[in-house]
Amino acid sequence: MNRQYYPALEETVCREVLPNGLTVLVAPRPGFRKKLAYFATDFGAIHRCFTLEGKACEAPQGVAHYLEHKLFDMPWGEVSADFAALGANPNAFTSYDMTAYYFSCTENFAPCLKLLLQFVSTAYFTEESVAKEQGIIGQEIDMAADSPDSRIFEQLMEGMYAGHRIRETILGTRETIAAITPQVLETCHRAFYSPQNMVLCVVGDVDPEEVAALARQVLGDEICPVAQKQPMAEEPMACPESRVSTRMEVAMPMFQLGFKCEDPGKGEQAVRQEIIGDLAAEALFGESSALYLQMYEDGLIDSSFGGGFETVDGMSILTCSGDSEDPERVKEAILAGLETLLKEGIPEADFLRMKRSALGRRIRDLDSFDSTCFRLCAYHFTGYDYPEFPALYQSVQKEEVQAFLRRVVTRQRSCLSVIYPMKEV
Amino acid sequence: MTQSLSLGPGIRLRCIPDSRFKQGCLSLQLVRPMCRQEASLNALLPAVLLRGTRAYPDLRAITLHLDDLYGASVGTLVRRVGDYQTTGLYCGFMEDRFALEGDAILAPMLDFVSQLLLEPVLEEGCFREDFVQSEKKNLIATIESQLNDKRAYAMEQMIRVMCREDSFGIPRLGEIADVEAITAKSLYDHYRKILRESRVELLYVGSAPEEKVAALLQRLFDRIERNYVNLPAQTPLRTGPESDTIMEMDVSQGKLCMGLVSPVTIREEGFVAMQLLNYIFGGGMTSKLFMEIREKQSLCYAIGSGFHGSKGLMTVSAGIDSAMKEAVQQAVLEQLALCRKGEITQAELTAAQEALRSSLLATQDSPGALEGYYGTAALSGLAMTPDAYIRAVEAATMEQIVTAAKTLTPHTVFFLKGVST
Repeated sequence: MNRQYYPALEETVCREVLPNGLTVLVAPRPGFRKKLAYFATDFGAIHRCFTLEGKACEAPQGVAHYLEHKLFDMPWGEVSADFAALGANPNAFTSYDMTAYYFSCTENFAPCLKLLLQFVSTAYFTEESVAKEQGIIGQEIDMAADSPDSRIFEQLMEGMYAGHRIRETILGTRETIAAITPQVLETCHRAFYSPQNMVLCVVGDVDPEEVAALARQVLGDEICPVAQKQPMAEEPMACPESRVSTRMEVAMPMFQLGFKCEDPGKGEQAVRQEIIGDLAAEALFGESSALYLQMYEDGLIDSSFGGGFETVDGMSILTCSGDSEDPERVKEAILAGLETLLKEGIPEADFLRMKRSALGRRIRDLDSFDSTCFRLCAYHFTGYDYPEFPALYQSVQKEEVQAFLRRVVTRQRSCLSVIYPMKEV
Repeated sequence: MTQSLSLGPGIRLRCIPDSRFKQGCLSLQLVRPMCRQEASLNALLPAVLLRGTRAYPDLRAITLHLDDLYGASVGTLVRRVGDYQTTGLYCGFMEDRFALEGDAILAPMLDFVSQLLLEPVLEEGCFREDFVQSEKKNLIATIESQLNDKRAYAMEQMIRVMCREDSFGIPRLGEIADVEAITAKSLYDHYRKILRESRVELLYVGSAPEEKVAALLQRLFDRIERNYVNLPAQTPLRTGPESDTIMEMDVSQGKLCMGLVSPVTIREEGFVAMQLLNYIFGGGMTSKLFMEIREKQSLCYAIGSGFHGSKGLMTVSAGIDSAMKEAVQQAVLEQLALCRKGEITQAELTAAQEALRSSLLATQDSPGALEGYYGTAALSGLAMTPDAYIRAVEAATMEQIVTAAKTLTPHTVFFLKGVST
C-alpha cells in the first residue's frame, strides 16, 4: 500500500487500487477509539440517465436515493440490526452527485467493515419491500416540502439552470418514485456500484493493509463494467430567471442569491476554482468584508447571513443566503459592493490574512472524522488528493480572485430565490 | 483525565489535556437559575459582547483579529441544563504547532476572550444603544425562525405545554415580549450583576499545560469584584394537568409529539437503565418505534425518542400523514407497553449497551464533544466520568430496564396538523 505523510497537517493517507478497480483510502488516527468507514459511489441524483453495455437508460427521478434506502435489505433481513448487534450505527446519504454508506464504531471494526462491503455490493430487492418503501419515502418527500432550507435551494436551481439535472430534487416526487421497480434498482446498481466507480475510505486507528485485504476478500477481483453517464446539456451562463419566489410557513422572508459559475471540471484545476470561489465570497461579503459590516449595521442582514462557493458535478455557484426583510436590497448592495471592491482592489495584507484564516479553518476541520472521510471521498471523485490543499492556498493569487469576481458577479448570472411568510408582514 | 482548579470563589477551571487534536477549545459559562425574569437577558448578553471591545470596536475588527489567529472562532453559548441557564462564549482555535514559526494562537486567544467579557464598548457607562437594539432584533428573529423547522417547533410547543409549571417550560432564549423590553441600561446592570454573582465554569480542551491556561485566565478574574451567590439545587419535573392539543398549519406533513414523565433523573441510580430503555424504545434505527412504525407499517420517515435526564422527561416525535395521528399515537403506546411487559430481547439490550458504550467512547475523540460532555454533565448532576458511565452501562440488567419503563407515565400530546388553506 502506498503510504504518504503530510507534515504540515500531521496526517498520513494510505492508498491502494485493488485488482477490481476499487480505490481504498485509509487515514490512520493512532490513539483514537472511533473508527469511521465510508463506502461511496460516484453516482448521485443527477446521474439517472446513462448508457450501460450499449443500451441507453433513463431511470426515474429520485432513483439514486431510493436505491440507497433499499440497499439496506439483505436476504436475511434489514442489515441495520446486524450492525446494531456489533455496536455500530450504519447510515447513508444521497447527494446530487454521490451516494455514500457509512458506519462508525469503537469495537468490532473488521466485522462491521465486512458487513458494509457486503450489503452495499449486494443488490437484493423484492417487489414487496420496494413497494413498501413508497410510503416511507413519500413521508420524507413531505418533510422536505415543509423544509424552507431545502425548498429555497431547489427553487434557486430551477431558476438558475436551463438543462442541468440539478433542477430536479434528489428525492424525486411521489409520482416519479411510483415508477421505481426492483428491475430499475438492479439496473442502476449494476451501472454504478462497480468497484471501479467506488471508493472505500476509513479514518481511525486501523491497519490499512487489513482494510484493503478485507475489501478484496469480500468484493473479489472481477472487473465489472461502469455505465457511461449522459453528459449534461450545454448550459448558458445567463440564468433563465432572475427571481423566483414562493410562500411558506416561515417567520420572515428568507433568501438565497446565486451567481452561476463555469463547470469547474475535474482534478486540481477544479479544487483551485473552489478555493478561489471561497476566497471571493469572503472578500465580497464574508464577515471580514466592509460590505458585511455595512449590511449588518443597516439591519439589512442578520447573523443568519452566510455564503460561499458550491460545486456539483458539471456546475458551480457563488451563493449567499439568510433572513432579510428586503432581499432585493441585499442583492443590490452586493452588486454595488462589488464595484467598490474591484475599484479599490483587495489589499495584499487582507488577502494574506483571508488565506491564513481559510487554511486554519480547513486544518481545524480535520479533527472531524466525518468531514475528513467525506472530503477524502468527494475529492477522490474530483480527482484530487485532498491533503495537498495547503500548497494550493499558497499559490492562489488575489488577481485570480478579482478576475473571478469580475466575471461572475453580474446581474445576468444572478438569480434571487425568496420564500415569503404565508401572512403578509 | 480532567484537572479542576479554583480561580476564585465560584470560579472553576477544568482542563482536559489532550494533544491528539489540531484545535483546542475553551468554553466560558456563567451559570444562572433558569427563570423568566433573566432568560432573555442571558440569551442576549453574549451577542452584545461579541459586537465590539475597546480594542476591537466593531464586528469587522473582531473578524479581522480572528482571521489573524488562523481563522479562530468565537460564538455565543446559551444552554439550558435542567433548572439552569448558562450564558457565555465558546471558542475554537488551531493548535499553536500548526501555525507558522513564531506565531502563537492560544495566548492571544485567551487574552481576547477576557477582553470580550470585560471590556465591551461602552457609551456613557452603558452598552451601546445601537448594538443592543440590533442584537435584540437578531434574537427575536432567531426565536421567530424556530417556526421554520416544523419538527423542532412542534416539540418546543409540546414542552411549553407540558412543563408550564416548571422552569423547563421557559424557552431557552426567553420570550419575545421580554426581549423587546430590554434596554441598554437593564442589560448592562444585569451584566455587572451576573459577573459578580454567578458560578463561572471554564473548560479547556487542548495540548497546553493546565498551569499555562490557568495563568492566562487568572488575570481575567483578578479584575472582577466578586460576590458569589450559590445556585439552588436541580429539581425533578413539575408537571401541570395532562393535555392533548392540536395546532393547525399549512404544511404537507403533520408532526406528532408526545411527552412522558418519570421520577428517574440523571441524579438517580436508575438513570443509566433509562438511557438504555430510551435507545431500545426509540433511540436509533433498530429501536422498537423505528422498526414497527416506520419499517413495518410505513407510517413515517422520521421517528424517535429522547430522554432529558436532568428532568426525567421522555419525548417522542414523528413526522406523519395528518390523518394517521390516532394510529401512530396508539402504536407508540403499544411499543411502550411491550417494554413495560418486559418484551425486550437480549439482542435489543445488547445493541443498546453497545451503542451507548460506543458513543461514550467516541465522545473522547472530539474536542467539541468533550466540551459538551464536561460542560453540561456536572451542572445537571451527573457525577460520572465517561469511563464510569460505560461501566454502569455494561452492568445494567434487563430487570432494571423494565423497571425504568414502568416508571414512565404518558402525559402530554401535541399535534401539528397539516391543513391546506
